[in-house]
Amino acid sequence: MNKLELKNVSYTYSAGTPFCKKALDSVSLSFEKGQIIGLIGHTGCGKSTLVQLLNGLLTPDEGAVLLDGQDINRKGGDLRSVRFRVGLVFQYPEYQLFEETVYADIAYGPKNMGLSKEETDRRVRETVQFVGLSEDCLSMSPFDLSGGQKRRAAVAGIMAMEPEVLVLDEPAAGLDPIGREEILGGIFSYQRKKKSTVIIVSHSMEDMARYSDRLVVMNRGRVLMQGSCREVFSRPERLTEIGLDIPQITRFMLALRKRGIDVRTDIFTVEEAKDEIIRVSGGRHRA
Amino acid sequence: MLKDITLGQFFPGKSILHRLDPRMKIVLSILYIVVIFLCKNLAAFAFITLFTAAMVVLSGISLRTILKGIKPLIFILAFTAIYNLFFYGGDRLLVKLGFIEIYYEGAMYAVAMVVRIVCLLVGSSVLLTYTTSPIMLTDGLERLLSPLSKLKLPVHEFSMMMTIALRFIPTLIEETDKIMNAQKARGSDFSSGSLVRRAKALIPILIPLFISSFRRAGDLAVAMECRCYRGGNGRTKMTQLHLSFRDFAMLFVILLCGAAVLLINRFVPGFSL
Repeated sequence: MNKLELKNVSYTYSAGTPFCKKALDSVSLSFEKGQIIGLIGHTGCGKSTLVQLLNGLLTPDEGAVLLDGQDINRKGGDLRSVRFRVGLVFQYPEYQLFEETVYADIAYGPKNMGLSKEETDRRVRETVQFVGLSEDCLSMSPFDLSGGQKRRAAVAGIMAMEPEVLVLDEPAAGLDPIGREEILGGIFSYQRKKKSTVIIVSHSMEDMARYSDRLVVMNRGRVLMQGSCREVFSRPERLTEIGLDIPQITRFMLALRKRGIDVRTDIFTVEEAKDEIIRVSGGRHRA
Repeated sequence: MLKDITLGQFFPGKSILHRLDPRMKIVLSILYIVVIFLCKNLAAFAFITLFTAAMVVLSGISLRTILKGIKPLIFILAFTAIYNLFFYGGDRLLVKLGFIEIYYEGAMYAVAMVVRIVCLLVGSSVLLTYTTSPIMLTDGLERLLSPLSKLKLPVHEFSMMMTIALRFIPTLIEETDKIMNAQKARGSDFSSGSLVRRAKALIPILIPLFISSFRRAGDLAVAMECRCYRGGNGRTKMTQLHLSFRDFAMLFVILLCGAAVLLINRFVPGFSL
């Protein structure tokens, strides 16, 4: 069953003024339960607008956002409870930390949900493990953490609400490679444990290729392509056309094929590429 | 939404008011305010209203924008009008409803006060804020106040502070919006509950906002130091201000307007403040 659906959703900023800008143009998408979905697209293609529609921070001009088949913006609906079910992590979430301790900051969401002290405590301790913060951090001020740690604490703040759908807008932006690995790995292990739906907005094709089950490519407020990583990356021309990249390793395999080496090009991880090259070179491989 | 605030916003354009020297505009605004307060009778108020309307037309700013700017003041205007209408005594009683007595003088006074406030607001915003970019405005102010630096007052620093403050208002508004959304996503509720609860709900917005302001200020200071900013001593301007014919022409017009108001006060009969 579909958990979260967008039906012909359009959204225009500052409608009716000279500054009006159509951000989304009748977008229809459905997000299956328990998948990791990568949302990719160029700057200004409407990704960030889309994620804010998902939890009702923005209301679509046309169309509807359905959660379990119900319009979240319906009259008499409770948007606050929708926001607990669809957790949204904004870009650079570390700037919203405000509590005296990391513990209190992560507990802010669960506390707003009205959970008991014990349950909140359990969730806080569980989520810091997912994101890889040590328990000592919990009693520290969030402002004494390093940049990467702050980011992880902020993500934990949403995870602790245990939303059915976790939406992250560029969770790894501006982090070093180790930081990226830690945060994305944390999200991945959280998803495997909780079986929740995860939607990640990203620019990095490598990261998306590694973690997501399904990719949605957006361009100028519309959905350009969607499908598995294999399907999307097997059509590199369409991606490069709109100014997006394909994973480096896919580009490498394409170049090999151009040189006349008969390799598969629907490959997007280094491990796969290694196996493929070994296969093509006739297994003459010394481990 | 917070983004919709227009009061004190600059609208780029090429009208004669846009092209006036900012120093002259500040002087003109002060003179204009003096003229408004010189008005004593209804004819004078009618005259100043026409004059203000003429300035609005000259500025090329749409009436809608101007009305939008007045909207937040409707409450104050209504309060002023009602207060004067009911509590200003006189000799010519118009209406008597129980303990409420409305006098002719009170009604006139109420009208005069409302006209005065509206003209004050519309005129000065058309002359200054709507048609002068913040940079020009602080530049003009700095030059006007520059004689004070002889008295060791930090005029340049003061105007730089003002420039920076004005520059960061939209940035902070945007930031506030972002943080509010982020906290809403975590279930903050700003619009229900008792006053104390609502005030408490602002903490998750104010603290990140303060922190990011401090961070921004620090970053800006470093960036300025990197470009060898050392305050106003010996600093020259890229754009020099020049007074031209039209500046003096406008000055003449305002002075003429003041003289006209004085004459109307004196020679046109009718209710007088």
